[in-house]
Amino acid sequence: MENNKEQVSKEYKIINVAGTLAKGFLKNPLTAVLGAFLLLMGYLALNTMPREEDPQIAISGGAVVVAMPGATPKEIENIIVKPLERKLREVHGIEHIYGMAMDNVGIVNVMYYIGENREDSNLKLYDKVMQNMDSMPKGVMQPLIKPFDIDIDIPIITVAFYPKAGKNVGDVKLFEMVREVQQHINAVEYVAKTTLKGARRAQYNIEVDMGKLSAYHLSLGQIMQAVQSVAVDVPDVKGKTNDGRLVIFGVKNAIESVEDVGSVIVAQYMGSPIYLRDVASVTHGIDIQNFQTAKILSKSEHNSTLSDEASQITMTVAKLAGTNAVFVAEDVVKVLEEYQREFDELGIGYLITRNYGERANEAVNELMSHLIITIVIIALMLVFALGWRESLIVTFSVPAILAVTLFTAWMTGQTMNRITLFALLLSLGLLVDAAIIVIENIHRHLHAHGVEDKEMEALLIEATDEIGAPTNIATLAIILTMVPMAFVGGMMGSFMKPIPYNVPVALIASLFVAYIFTPYLSLKLLKKPEHGDNHHKESEMKKEEKKEGSK
Amino acid sequence: MKNLESFIYNILNSKMKKKLVIVLTAAAFFLSLMMFPTKMVLAKMLPGKSANTFSIYVDTPAGSSIDQTKKVSACVIGFLKKEQEIMNIELFLGQGIPLDYAGLVKGASMKRTENVSEISVNLTDKHHRAEPSFLMVQRMRPAIQEACVPLVRGTNIKFIEQPSGPPTLASIVVEVHGENLSKIRELAVDVADTLSNTEGLVDIDIMADENFEKFELIPDKEKVARSGLSVKQVNNILYLAFEGMVIAHKNSKNSPDQINMFLVLDNDSKKLSKSNVDSLQSKLSSLNLMNMRGMMVPLSEVVNIRKVMSNYMIMHKDLSRMTNVIAETDMVSQVYPLLEARDVLLEKFEKDYIIEKAGFSTYMFDFTLIDRKTQEKFLIRWDGEMKVTLDTFRDLGGAFISALILIFLLLVIYYKSFAISGIVLLGSFLSLIGVIVGHWVANWFTTETFFLTATSLIGFIALIGISSRNSLLLIDFAKSLMECEGIKKRRAIAVAAATRAKPIALTAVAIILGSALLAGDPVFGGLGVALISGTVAAVFVSLLFVPVLMDNAKAMDFDKNPHCDVEDKNNISITK
Repeated sequence: MENNKEQVSKEYKIINVAGTLAKGFLKNPLTAVLGAFLLLMGYLALNTMPREEDPQIAISGGAVVVAMPGATPKEIENIIVKPLERKLREVHGIEHIYGMAMDNVGIVNVMYYIGENREDSNLKLYDKVMQNMDSMPKGVMQPLIKPFDIDIDIPIITVAFYPKAGKNVGDVKLFEMVREVQQHINAVEYVAKTTLKGARRAQYNIEVDMGKLSAYHLSLGQIMQAVQSVAVDVPDVKGKTNDGRLVIFGVKNAIESVEDVGSVIVAQYMGSPIYLRDVASVTHGIDIQNFQTAKILSKSEHNSTLSDEASQITMTVAKLAGTNAVFVAEDVVKVLEEYQREFDELGIGYLITRNYGERANEAVNELMSHLIITIVIIALMLVFALGWRESLIVTFSVPAILAVTLFTAWMTGQTMNRITLFALLLSLGLLVDAAIIVIENIHRHLHAHGVEDKEMEALLIEATDEIGAPTNIATLAIILTMVPMAFVGGMMGSFMKPIPYNVPVALIASLFVAYIFTPYLSLKLLKKPEHGDNHHKESEMKKEEKKEGSK
Repeated sequence: MKNLESFIYNILNSKMKKKLVIVLTAAAFFLSLMMFPTKMVLAKMLPGKSANTFSIYVDTPAGSSIDQTKKVSACVIGFLKKEQEIMNIELFLGQGIPLDYAGLVKGASMKRTENVSEISVNLTDKHHRAEPSFLMVQRMRPAIQEACVPLVRGTNIKFIEQPSGPPTLASIVVEVHGENLSKIRELAVDVADTLSNTEGLVDIDIMADENFEKFELIPDKEKVARSGLSVKQVNNILYLAFEGMVIAHKNSKNSPDQINMFLVLDNDSKKLSKSNVDSLQSKLSSLNLMNMRGMMVPLSEVVNIRKVMSNYMIMHKDLSRMTNVIAETDMVSQVYPLLEARDVLLEKFEKDYIIEKAGFSTYMFDFTLIDRKTQEKFLIRWDGEMKVTLDTFRDLGGAFISALILIFLLLVIYYKSFAISGIVLLGSFLSLIGVIVGHWVANWFTTETFFLTATSLIGFIALIGISSRNSLLLIDFAKSLMECEGIKKRRAIAVAAATRAKPIALTAVAIILGSALLAGDPVFGGLGVALISGTVAAVFVSLLFVPVLMDNAKAMDFDKNPHCDVEDKNNISITK
């Protein structure tokens, strides 16, 4: 039927972009280079793209803390919270304002709409409070403005340091060691904020016995003044010699050790001095006023029960925004390992209690393996449905499409996270379609009547061009369903953003890959059959139908 | 192939059979929709996911000491210690655990009082552990709360699991807004009571501080002045004596930080025998101040002691006073307990208040209470995960409708016919049957409830595109058969359906296989199931229902067109 037409038009007229692409790349030596380049870019993106478990959600907000000593909650509400709330209403982009009026202090928290630019939001908040400093009521302290900074606030790795069982490491010694490690960890590239939780600092504690105080007729104020008067640091002073040279001298801090504190003379009583140690116990200890302590119970390698409670110091490490959590975490672990020998000597053990870098890596790797399994399954299915050469061609197109998608995501500043990979998994079922449709049409043309009269190249271009229009429309339809999802707001919208961002890219890439590489690879891999076999396809179709029917 | 072709042709040829197909499809559609009100399929924004960690927040009532908090925490840890699957436990007293996403919205970073502690628990790797973390929490929660909460009256112990999606303050947040502070407190207590009695809700807490006894020292101004002291001096000495102060520091070569010198009374001197005015009075009488003339004045001489109750904290949200009541769900969707609790509340408030319900919005469960006596207004607002869910479902619904409109416009441009575009759209909409039934079936195979989630909706939206493509290819093919080959309408539709069955099935199998691994994920399971079952439904719809509609549509009557470009269309000789 259509044979006569084919014979008439030897020179096929290209009507769709699909044919143009196929023709342009079919004999071009650069096509192979382009393919290799795409795969390389994908590989690079895969290895260098920042990995994280969940996508970043731009949550911006901040707190304004205003202290007013001695005020009751109702007073704070009226003179601090309410005016501040009213002023903050003027800021654009704030979704909710939360006010808290307590004894002595008022706090106003603001939450911006999800997706508002974080730097701008922080500036706007600061700006608004500063503009209104003149209307601050009298007697309040300088307001504190604390923006939430998720990247810096949420540590990606936390390490607990604790004295090993049976080892007697003092709290202060532990702190000093951890402080030293902290310095080195902060030096790791892209590490932002490090903090210590549960740290106990060295302190000279002067605990006064009230009974003795009254016996000696002393007041606490006197003791305070006595200590302050000796514990002073002053800079050196300069003097000059007769011949004009500098002589530098200075007063040393009178307190060198805890004994010096005990020997401070508090007062004279009947001519004899009263030392501080007479009225108070002076010790070199830890900060007793700090109630924020931390404990740990852990399992050691050869013990399956939890150890007893031990005090610990947790070091939290956060990374800079947009950097790769996996690399930062690895570097931090390396620094810790360097200290292993010193830790052993002191009897300090450490335990990594949180590692988002590792978690992100695991999540990403697990999904990558899912992706590969799925590709293999689809390839196997295609072997049965189309033949192994055809299946090979379609299977090649998948990594190429994923490479383009990943590279685009990398270039647009996205990170590789669970949702990105789910988007890829979701699009996997969709993106082989274009390649399948092209290869199926090529397959059909190769087994059609009159194939002997045609050049292989012309046939491939024609086969690709034919299905261009319906394939474009069908793919466009799927892309259109994804586009509105990009406008979904709120937490969930931000969380799911990688889907509307990446699925359309993958689908568009699938079209280009199908039009460029499928004919190119077909030219290399497929051959015209010896004689046109019309029934081949039909029998396969039956097979397919049976498969479907048996489901 | 012939079988399918004649099967479809037979249906198209008989009015009865065509009606039967339409009626069956409509019945399937409504039956599947009925699965929502009958609770055969339950909806939730995101299901829980098994994690390698969870945390426990311990809040003793405001004004409790660190020792009391420690006692409760030790009790909790005592329970945790018995668990085999726990790798390590960290206790942070008087502060939050290193900030995580859950803590971020729950205000963990603001904690720095003696009445709070947080416990972080790391479990063995989830891949090698039989019990998911959420079941573990569910199992331990009642035992721990029963044993440890009574240790200090008014204690609250909350179990915080890693959110599988974006974090929220709590699953259920009830805001009680109003001007009368004591009244909103009462209402909040009522709400909290109702939530506690609702099945499926746990960790109920009123987000307000408790009041506690405290003592006010009122300086007697005249006495202060006459004894040559100042009020500031009184304040300072009091603070120095009982809280202590860093009075000086020393720089040290060997220490990483400055060494502070901290002055305070020793423990024996500080301790009061009892918490009452008399023992405070006697303690203050032995604390002396030195006046300007160098004479000692006992502190108790210049102040009067009074016992008062502490002040409540006042909370505002969006400039109106309110109190929060929060609750977590115990392995169930928050929607159903919420509706149940709301009904109970409405009944409870009926007597004293005139109730006005909110209109249709994402705050649709709110209601306003007007006191029958005082005419005071109170607003009961449902926020938290419910609000986020409604917002998300509203937005996704909007996205879905926009997707439908966009595809419809695309098809109208392509076919230049509203009727044909309508057929395609209707066909794709019916894949909803598969999505809902799929969730119902998936629920059989999972031990926990398989919820219809936000990701299911995303899957459904993607399905619209996929199934509209099926119909599109079918219509395209039938059209060209009629135009180019001059085949009669019914035969052409039957042939088209039979021929397109292979690519439709092939791509469907690709999607099903591609989504198979998605279905196992707790968060994206909904998307996987929606894609798998929806695709199956879409195949049936496009091969049976769409041909029937095509046959009934006038717009599908095409005559043989001499300008038909045969090359552009598929080779129909395959099926002949």
